[in-house]
Amino acid sequence: MIPDRIIEQGTLTTDGTRSAVEVRIPWYRALPGSCISEVSFSVDGVPAPAESLRWTMNGRTFRLADLADDIEQWWFPVDSAVVSGDIPVTTGADDHRVDVELKLYIPYIVIDGDQVLRIEERDSKTMPAMTTEVAA
Amino acid sequence: MSLGAPIQGVTLYSFTRAFHGREYDLEQLLRKVADDGYGPGLEIVGYSSFRGFPAIDDAFAERFRELVDELGLVQTSLAINADIGIHRDRLLTDDELIEYMRPQIEAAAKLGFPIARVQISLEPDSMERLAPLAEKNGVTLALEVHADQYASHPRILALRDRYEKVGSPFLGFTADWGATTSGFAPSLIEAYRRRGASDELLAQVVALWDEFSQEGPPADQADHGQRFGRFTALGAQSGRPDLGIDFAINGTGLFGPARVDDWLEIMPWIRHIHGKFFGIDETGEEPSVPVRDLIRLFVENGYNGAISSEYEGWHWNNWQSAFEIVGGEQAVQRSAARDAGSQMVTDAVTARPQLHRWLSERSETKPTTTGARA
Repeated sequence: MIPDRIIEQGTLTTDGTRSAVEVRIPWYRALPGSCISEVSFSVDGVPAPAESLRWTMNGRTFRLADLADDIEQWWFPVDSAVVSGDIPVTTGADDHRVDVELKLYIPYIVIDGDQVLRIEERDSKTMPAMTTEVAA
Repeated sequence: MSLGAPIQGVTLYSFTRAFHGREYDLEQLLRKVADDGYGPGLEIVGYSSFRGFPAIDDAFAERFRELVDELGLVQTSLAINADIGIHRDRLLTDDELIEYMRPQIEAAAKLGFPIARVQISLEPDSMERLAPLAEKNGVTLALEVHADQYASHPRILALRDRYEKVGSPFLGFTADWGATTSGFAPSLIEAYRRRGASDELLAQVVALWDEFSQEGPPADQADHGQRFGRFTALGAQSGRPDLGIDFAINGTGLFGPARVDDWLEIMPWIRHIHGKFFGIDETGEEPSVPVRDLIRLFVENGYNGAISSEYEGWHWNNWQSAFEIVGGEQAVQRSAARDAGSQMVTDAVTARPQLHRWLSERSETKPTTTGARA
């Protein structure tokens, strides 16, 4: 569902060792942190190591493992979250290919017994990188 | 029985792309709905449109209600969610789910919605236990009958029987027309074509859906699983396993194959309608939802509640305006209501007291099959 909306064009930033991009929820309604199942982020085919990934929403930065229990912080449909991770990227005019995959639990759609639907959506966009501080 | 005159309306869900894409904020979207005449009925999904839902502060609620009044809209349903799977490792218990619904029902009352659309994870016991809260808040709980359920599905009949026993005017159903469709949506077929699916493969998808439709809803979960598997196999055989999953999810979950007159099983308890649809074709008709037959059925059964046009084609249709498509579907509804000897109510002055009466009088009449076509 609207996977083409995941990556916000023109939002790739880097501090030289860590990089970040803004992402939008590929769903029509807000979901809490607990529903953010898996995130992957890569630039020019280089994936951020899983343990280096951070998720920033509502002004707070989380390790993905810490989102699993969080039903207080919600990802609202018109708000960007920021995904960041250890990927060295060069700044300048050169374009970089950004890939993000999101797996989200949909908490009201029970598909089998005690399992709820998990959607898997991916997006790929090309953009230059800007220099800035990146959440760690 | 006297003919019904349903209230025309829309759910902002139809315009998800415009809101999600930041083309319209909530106020701008409400103004657009009023200006273009998609109301007067207004339905909103709480977790889509209200930041921080279900917490709603007093000042916001007051501004919202004033805006709705100013625009001549009539609040119908607040769609709230039974998020039974909100924890990663377990489902909510019935007690927890009831407590999860409480602030959402209170938010509906605070915002001025007389109906809260609730969802299937609420069992008959839970609906019975929620009835006093609904009554206290003056909010009718209308549990959505949504594909792949349908009116005569055992879980829905169990709810209906409990409603009859409890006898509360605050318990009912939202009928989602996606349960009673007549074909695999052509606009989705077009979207698959744009993703590189061959005409031959797409013809097989349509034919398979038609075959299942002839048989009616799946007999049981095993039958459902078999149908799912046959859709995925079509994709796999054509080298498009990615599309196969998509065919299966939509073919078994989105386009329900129950007959139109299946709604008669629960007709007296239908308090609200989602006029689910997927597109309007070049002749101005909905090619995969029998809108005209549905309108006739509800008019002839005295339905005086609201119909929220619920456009679902935006998931895949990024080449046409959702606004124009909703306008087109509502024209079909109005035409069908006239053909059935009645009309859609399109003015707020008539709609507001009509909806109030509709929700305060519990239907005592038996449904009629006269004129039901399907």
